Amino acid sequence: MNTRIRPPRTRQYHRLAVAALVTAALSLAGAAPAMASAPVKVVHTERVQVGPYGVTVGFSVWPIRAMRSLDFTFLPDGGIVGKSGKLLLNGPGIKPDERVTPLVRHPRKLDSWGLDVKALNAPGAYSFGFAIDGPFGHGDGTLQGVTVLNQPGPPLGSSWTVGSLPFLGLVVVLVVAWRRIRPGRQPLAI
Amino acid sequence: METKPLTAPSANAAAVRAGPLTNDAGSTMGPRVGASVVLLGTIITTLGISWDVQWHKMVGPDTFFTLPHLLLYSGSAIAGIASLVMVLMATSAQRAGHPMPRTVGGPPIRLLGGTFTAPFGYLMAGVGAALFLLYGLADLWWHSIYGFDAVLNSPSHIALFLSISITMLGSVAIFAAARDQRWGQLGIVLAIPILITFAPITTNAFANLSLPIDPTIVGIIFFSSLLLIMGAGILRRPGGAIAIAAALGILQAFLWWFSPWAAVTYAAAVGLPLRDGLAPQPPDLPSAIPMFLLVAAVVEALFWMIRTRGLNARKVMPLVGGVTGLIVADTLPLQQVLTDPTASFSAATVAVIGVAGILFGLLAGFLAARFITMLRALAPDPKEV
Repeated sequence: MNTRIRPPRTRQYHRLAVAALVTAALSLAGAAPAMASAPVKVVHTERVQVGPYGVTVGFSVWPIRAMRSLDFTFLPDGGIVGKSGKLLLNGPGIKPDERVTPLVRHPRKLDSWGLDVKALNAPGAYSFGFAIDGPFGHGDGTLQGVTVLNQPGPPLGSSWTVGSLPFLGLVVVLVVAWRRIRPGRQPLAI
Repeated sequence: METKPLTAPSANAAAVRAGPLTNDAGSTMGPRVGASVVLLGTIITTLGISWDVQWHKMVGPDTFFTLPHLLLYSGSAIAGIASLVMVLMATSAQRAGHPMPRTVGGPPIRLLGGTFTAPFGYLMAGVGAALFLLYGLADLWWHSIYGFDAVLNSPSHIALFLSISITMLGSVAIFAAARDQRWGQLGIVLAIPILITFAPITTNAFANLSLPIDPTIVGIIFFSSLLLIMGAGILRRPGGAIAIAAALGILQAFLWWFSPWAAVTYAAAVGLPLRDGLAPQPPDLPSAIPMFLLVAAVVEALFWMIRTRGLNARKVMPLVGGVTGLIVADTLPLQQVLTDPTASFSAATVAVIGVAGILFGLLAGFLAARFITMLRALAPDPKEV
């Protein structure tokens, strides 16, 4: 005969609840935030002449694929100090409000202008135009024919299908509840 | 999964009267704490998303372990764990022969052949949190292929936002079930503004489509109209819409101050400069929240007319929604222009937004009437029948 005294099932659930709370507290306390952003690693460069200024355009991923974000750096010879200008982007994945923007420092490579974790969303040929003002006056120049290949990963349709599953689940719950309650037939007092 | 039927209020009223209604302070402590912790989780998530959006706009560099990310993740974790604890307590109570009343999170759903008993609201909040965890892994996979882009409209990010919205909806359901108690009503007044703030973010899913109107604007109009009317209808008392709008205003004012402050302070703490060439724009998320005390006053007036003239509320609700949607749509561009020196709207755009306001407002009103009935059915209040 088994003489062991088994704790009631309700106590087990209470223990499980306490264990869940303790685990949560420990995991949150242990997740100390850090802020060590990775430096920009340029793996490919192109040169473009912008009037009197030679500019090195750096890419952190090469070749470039559609939707794959990467860092772009734009470094004029002699550095960016005392210079300013505009970036003129053109290509199939560029939205109207992205076509002309000021040249600003790359947030993770502050000695250079750049774009951080920027994705070009459609394959095709892109151009990077520059209008720079500096100690030698104004200069314009364009890096033409930067090719962006097709997107990596599974077809976008399947990714969106998986991503919309929570919405579909919510709709199913609503439809089931709607069919059971028939809210359109109930009186409503507000 | 086996479910107990959700039925209309009238059919359940007698059962609820006979059940162990627990209105004394001691016996409602557990439900109050559970609901409050779920709500706290959603508030932390809202702070996290607003801070994160502002961080990317004003500073930029990103890693997995940033403070705004920690808030985002811990918000869902807190809500999820609180839901799990409440499910375990409900299971424990069920097994001890003292099932929790439906005012604690709604009707019990039997899971895994009756192994667990989950109050509907907590089940919903917990499933949302579990989905958040699952899609967090999917998001890591997405970033390993596409890089660490800081965009809102990737499939994995949209799935995360949907998951969070489901948790927030669970929070609304939890408080709707306890609407006959003061803490339940207060919870509605707080949980609805959280969802009004967050739900439109999911409409970024349509951002890549060529549409005649910004889908986020449609989302703001639709969700704010739907949720305001729904919240006021659940509260079922004069001043409900005003209370929700006031709570939303307080949340908006706080996020307006907090988001840029937190971004700048955090950047200074970790030694990062602000981005060059920042436009003098208001913070992204709070500036997209409609300032709609006026709208709430109109909803109050329309509800008052329905009450005093004995109108059929269900039939009039689409009209209430249409008026609400139109006012939100008309005041949103004005709000943007007044608060953002870089914003401008052509007359044609304002007209398109106005039409969208009427159409989506009508739909919001129609759905709000149904959702009020469905949420009330979670725990029928004998006083309402």
